[in-house]
Amino acid sequence: MKDLVREFTKGIFKENPTFVLALGLCPTLAVSVTVANGIGMGLAATFVLLGSSVIISLVRNFIPGKIRIPCFIVIIATFVTITELCLKAYSPVLNRALGIYVPLIVVNCIVLGRAEAFACKNSVLSSLLDGLGMGVGFTIALIMISGIREFLGSGQILGHTLIKGFEPVFVFGMPSGALLVIGLLLGLFNVLKNMKS
Amino acid sequence: MKEMMRYGFILALICVVAAGLLAAVNSLTHPKIIAQTQAEEQAALKEVMPLASKFAEVKSDKDKDALYYKAFNNQDKLVGFVFKASSKGYSSQIQTLAGVFLDQKISAVKVISQNETPGLGAKITEDKFSEQFKNRSSLDLSGVEAITGATISSHAVISSVEKKARQIRELIKNER
Repeated sequence: MKDLVREFTKGIFKENPTFVLALGLCPTLAVSVTVANGIGMGLAATFVLLGSSVIISLVRNFIPGKIRIPCFIVIIATFVTITELCLKAYSPVLNRALGIYVPLIVVNCIVLGRAEAFACKNSVLSSLLDGLGMGVGFTIALIMISGIREFLGSGQILGHTLIKGFEPVFVFGMPSGALLVIGLLLGLFNVLKNMKS
Repeated sequence: MKEMMRYGFILALICVVAAGLLAAVNSLTHPKIIAQTQAEEQAALKEVMPLASKFAEVKSDKDKDALYYKAFNNQDKLVGFVFKASSKGYSSQIQTLAGVFLDQKISAVKVISQNETPGLGAKITEDKFSEQFKNRSSLDLSGVEAITGATISSHAVISSVEKKARQIRELIKNER
């Protein structure tokens, strides 16, 4: 039981996909302009991570080691496409919020990374928890980055102005600002990790 | 050699299953997706032309996108037109939907797709900007004020609406 809890919590801090494993930085840079975007991308990625981790750990004994990567990619892409089609057809509200992020997840290396590093070697339950934990960690990381960027870059959080008369620093709304924020947070995470150990 | 055949077979099997699943899901969802996009389009049209209850597409060519839409009220009377204008902004293609009454006055405009700088150009989606268009002639929008710090994005919206309105002016005249 304790091990299972650890599978879940490790993705949030100890092996945070963005700040510690440094996976999936490309979509992170691109979408972390506003908090709303960050939450959307985070939720969509969590859902796909969950689904693909479960499916891959289900078929892990059937896939030969030498051709596992193409097999994983086919499985992940199929899962993402099915998710996208279902969202479009049955949930227009959710689709409007997450729509553009779902196809982006195919190129998110966290999904393939977890399939390769964890789901293909572990049971369904621990893969599910691992996927969920990684997704939550990714979402938290995105919210942190986009929160800082939205506040400094446009003086708002979730579209609401917090401080009247605050002069926004536009560079934080640009990709260069994203690199700065991610770099500083990555450093902060490493400092915290070193202090702990 | 034998192993290679086996790997090929397994990969092919996975691909066949994946393709089959995708085909099945696609055939199930395709009609629903089309219905959803149409409903969304109707809702967007209604937003810029609240008076109307029905819209009819007008196309210059069968395969081309709609040139503009005729808007009818619930007594099937023509009350105005809706058209889509598009132009390059500062960092993206900006698409605007505009509703005009029969006298070319604007009922409302709505930016439906843009990817301008957040906090600057993205302000073109706010009411403060789009409210200015109301009741102006679509052929002369020189009175609409650009957003401070977002002149290029604002002018892209203004000039694209004006340009499209001029383009379809003659066509609209014949409809009345």
